[in-house]
Amino acid sequence: KRKIPGEKRKSFIFGNLNTKTFIDSLNKQGINDIKLEESEDGSIIHLPNDDTLIRVEQGSTHIMCGGDEDVRIKIRDTLLQCLQKL
Amino acid sequence: LVMRGNKLQLMDADQALKDVGLKEHNLRFTSTLYVEEDGASEKLAEKIYTLVKDKIKDHPTQYSTDGSISVSDVMITVSGDDEETKSVLVTWSHQDEELGSELMEILKNELPVTME
Repeated sequence: KRKIPGEKRKSFIFGNLNTKTFIDSLNKQGINDIKLEESEDGSIIHLPNDDTLIRVEQGSTHIMCGGDEDVRIKIRDTLLQCLQKL
Repeated sequence: LVMRGNKLQLMDADQALKDVGLKEHNLRFTSTLYVEEDGASEKLAEKIYTLVKDKIKDHPTQYSTDGSISVSDVMITVSGDDEETKSVLVTWSHQDEELGSELMEILKNELPVTME
């Protein structure tokens, strides 16, 4: 596997995502257009302004977005702050 | 470095964490690019396959008959047959973040991507 010079080892992320904490963090990042849909299997967080759907289940999160990498990275980093890591 | 019984063992850090019962959070991304391209979606899929094979040398790239392309564990699928704008879906996991974002950059730079 290719290593990028200076690349930090990715942290090991574990546990479940608390959707409330995550939504609060998104708000702090200036993402305020958020629709939350809860179901038996988990939740779907819809960010219409950012063309993004986030499916949250026990032990897994799937971020589905348009091709805007800046948006994706912002959501990714916000999410990583809300997960436990080593 | 992990102590097992009275033996010291060198093992992969992720595996060691899994062994102590920590289940990794499965984080995945799917990014959709809209590409202006006439004709069948297989045509665009083949074009992407050739492009990726040429640009990414250190990951195995495969083309399947269903029109999807895999680059290591990153999947690229094309949909929207016979429509003028095709959707190109790129899916990867957090572990493949570097490769996923590299592929996004290549596709965005090399294909006629439209904003929708």
